[in-house]
Amino acid sequence: MKDLVRLTDVTKVYRGGITGALNGVSLTVESGEFTAIMGPSGSGKSTLLNLVAGLDEPSSGSVAVCGTDLGSLGEARLARFRRDHIGFVFQFFHLLPNLTALENVLIPAQLRGNGSTARAAELLERLGIEEVADRYPSRLSGGEQQRVAIARALVNRPTLLLADEPTGALDTRSGEQVMDLLGRLHRDGQTILLVTHDARLAARHAARVISVMDGEVVDDSRRQVA
Amino acid sequence: MAAVLVKALKDLRRRRLQAAVVSVTALLAVGTATMALTLQSQTRTSYQTVFDTQKGAHLQVRFDGRIDPRTLAGSPALIGATASGGPYPSTDVQFRFESRKYLVSTIGRDNPDGQVEQLRVVAGRWPANDSEIALTQSFADLNHISIGDRVKIVSVPQEPQLTVAAKVFDIDEGSAAVTNQHSWMLSSAIAALTPPGFAYSFMDYRFASDPTDAHLQADLNTLRGSLPAGSVTGSTTYIAVRTVFGVTNLLATNLLGAFSIFALLATVAIVANLVTGIVISTYREIGIMKAVGFTPRQVELVVVLQIVIPAAVAALVALPLGAVASQPLLANSSLALGLPYQAAFSPALGAVAFIGALAIATVAAFVPALRAGRLKAAEVIASANAPRGRSGRWLRRLAARVRLPRPVVLGAGDALARPLMAILTMLAIFVGVVTVTVAIGVPRALTEIVNHEESIGYAHVLVNRSPALADSEAMRIFSADPDTKRVVGRVPQPVAVPGLGDQAIAYTFRGDSSRLGFLLLAGRWYGGPGEAVAPRGLMHDAHLKIGDHFTVTVGTRPVSLLLVGEVYDANNLGHTMFVDWSTISPAKPDLAPSQYLVTLTPGSDVGAYVRRVAAVQPDLLDVQRNDPSLTESPIGNALIIVAAVVIVIGAAAIFNTLLLNTRERARDTATLRTVGMSPRQVMVMVAASAGLLAVVGGAVGVPAGFGLNRLLVSLINDIGNNDTPASMYEVFGVWELLAIPLACVAVAVAAALLPGRWAARTRVIEVLHAE
Repeated sequence: MKDLVRLTDVTKVYRGGITGALNGVSLTVESGEFTAIMGPSGSGKSTLLNLVAGLDEPSSGSVAVCGTDLGSLGEARLARFRRDHIGFVFQFFHLLPNLTALENVLIPAQLRGNGSTARAAELLERLGIEEVADRYPSRLSGGEQQRVAIARALVNRPTLLLADEPTGALDTRSGEQVMDLLGRLHRDGQTILLVTHDARLAARHAARVISVMDGEVVDDSRRQVA
Repeated sequence: MAAVLVKALKDLRRRRLQAAVVSVTALLAVGTATMALTLQSQTRTSYQTVFDTQKGAHLQVRFDGRIDPRTLAGSPALIGATASGGPYPSTDVQFRFESRKYLVSTIGRDNPDGQVEQLRVVAGRWPANDSEIALTQSFADLNHISIGDRVKIVSVPQEPQLTVAAKVFDIDEGSAAVTNQHSWMLSSAIAALTPPGFAYSFMDYRFASDPTDAHLQADLNTLRGSLPAGSVTGSTTYIAVRTVFGVTNLLATNLLGAFSIFALLATVAIVANLVTGIVISTYREIGIMKAVGFTPRQVELVVVLQIVIPAAVAALVALPLGAVASQPLLANSSLALGLPYQAAFSPALGAVAFIGALAIATVAAFVPALRAGRLKAAEVIASANAPRGRSGRWLRRLAARVRLPRPVVLGAGDALARPLMAILTMLAIFVGVVTVTVAIGVPRALTEIVNHEESIGYAHVLVNRSPALADSEAMRIFSADPDTKRVVGRVPQPVAVPGLGDQAIAYTFRGDSSRLGFLLLAGRWYGGPGEAVAPRGLMHDAHLKIGDHFTVTVGTRPVSLLLVGEVYDANNLGHTMFVDWSTISPAKPDLAPSQYLVTLTPGSDVGAYVRRVAAVQPDLLDVQRNDPSLTESPIGNALIIVAAVVIVIGAAAIFNTLLLNTRERARDTATLRTVGMSPRQVMVMVAASAGLLAVVGGAVGVPAGFGLNRLLVSLINDIGNNDTPASMYEVFGVWELLAIPLACVAVAVAAALLPGRWAARTRVIEVLHAE
């Protein structure tokens, strides 16, 4: 397997910060992996995910995704890179409130120049939420909103799916459903990088768990997932 | 692009109120700009087109009626005219129609065609016998005279009745509203209508190309030198006619142009304000858009489209509205040209207004939208809300120190929390206040001009005398009425002034003219024979200054004058002078007043006086109350409309800012509500924000408006070739200068009501939960 994500000696210091959110982190993620990044609040795991998504830039070091050094891309090319290669699922779903579920899913495809609704409708059906296609986010449950967000992340068939605490805002049952969904996607070949502070979830679904503490990788273990 | 459009349209649906604000401001700004552009384009070209089509005369000369027509027929060769018309026998005719009497120059002409000054018959037919008359359409329409109406000639003792046979267009005279008019009869009819001493001949001359004023003056001098002395008794050049025609529209287009710039400025402020607010209020959403693949430029485009789409729709509506609103002024222009009014609109100019407005709106929106493009996705998603503005803290502390009520203190701080938005809002208010100040000041200055020129408030009654009635008889009638306090006779006497192409008018007064309210700008009023006062136009063009001696020609007689003062007078484009009877009468022994300015004893009933004097001589005296008004001026009306427009835009700016502020501060407001702030106090807090912005905008706007008013009034007087008297600047009362900013605060507080109510009624739990 080849490296899909490569972080090389990455440090991130926020303005006004005394210590770095990330301090010299180096790691790789291979294609097809389901990797969980674990750590307590403020450990730097979300920062790591934002850097991989190209939403933020490191203070030093380099981040490469799909062989592309993200530091070499400007804002516009980063946006295009994201829409072509990366899907992002947020803890609080972050659906655009004035678009219906279907329109939310469609947006990345439309930005890529593909306005066909077939793929979006298929995803909604596959995720079991086809009946909410015309509803606005405010009329959806948390679980439904997160599934819409996952569909939006998948609509361009991304090489890498990033999920930042995808169950953090959900009840236990909805959280389980979402994680099962991610597991299914992984089994279908999707590379997933998951950020969570829930050790149980990480252990149950991810084949590899990277632990982060105070901006440093303190553990990186692989195991066989049932 | 589809995603950008979908997002922008969806956001528009969510921000219907802000879209409405953009629409209203764009509608008003584009509407006024269209008005100004339509007027400017349609009036600029129309005069020359009609002048060429109707072979207008470059020079019209009035000759003494005693000159042999054969001599005049040879005059074109003297000055190298390529075409000519006349000589036409002419006289001044006064006629009565219904209760009014009118004085017109009546020209004997057997057909409306010819090489020069072709007359276009637009209604009826050319007079076929000596009892028919043709009038200009401008004059007939102004006075509601129709084809077939009968008018009674009162300037000759026989008092014949004439039938109006035709309405014609004459390119060689201005609107009946501003200049004396010609009429036409068969040449065989003129002799019977000519009172003694009122026989003239008209010649029209046209040259191969449009001559300069200097050339025309040289031609006039040639005519004077080549023909018997005293032959030339009057003249008009096409330049003077064109200027007279253009004055009203020049004034209107200048003012409307200035106002449309104000409106566009206010629109720029409001658009920039709106976009700033949109960016601030959608911080997290911008981050999400970036996270799902919108490029920075696409994010900016989503924001800009939310302005451009409603602005484009509004502009499309505004184009026909602006074109329609400009039609009354265009109709006025047509009347001035004697043209039939036809609704006019230039699609090319419409496109210019449309594209220009959209370009301005796009730039105004794009600059603040750049901020949205620059935002870092990770940061804004994490922080969710824009950093709170802190600039109002010092003001809040200051307000607290002077022990203002707490809601007012909080509101004052909120007003300046975001300095850029506060400045943009104050800019819109500022423009509104400036516009209102100018809209009040300019029409008053115009009224001042009319009042002083017409002696309104000084002479209560104006009486025009028919030549058929002796001056002595008219004076006997006035003297017999106990309410008559003072009568000043006046006659406009054409005089040739060295350096002027056209003849100037010497208003010759019999009686004390110094008490008729004319505005003396410099020097002193004339004190006796040989002294004159004149406006800047004559002084400038004839290269005269106060203290200069110069010689004018009255008929054939030279009259020496000393210029002793500068007077305000926009008549005849400032080519006038005011002299005493004793100055002109030696050169023109048969001089008699054509008009009397009558001042009544205090407490007299002006209406009763008018009825009494008119009853004594119903045909031979035209008696009118001296109180013309500008209230129906299309310019004044247009200014009022545009001022209202800019006020609405200013109010919209305040409304928008408060809406954004209250939404942005929803959590703060909810928190205040939980600690005991009442809904009424919330409204006071929002209103205090509005009031503060309005006070600052108004305080700066009033002096700026005052200054701009001075500038525009000076410009208006420049057009009329006059210096501006101080009284035309001093048209505001102190209380008004205070009332304007106070009214501004009232409008601001009214605009704050809706956002205030929204803030006061929001359910605290919902807000805190949502945040």
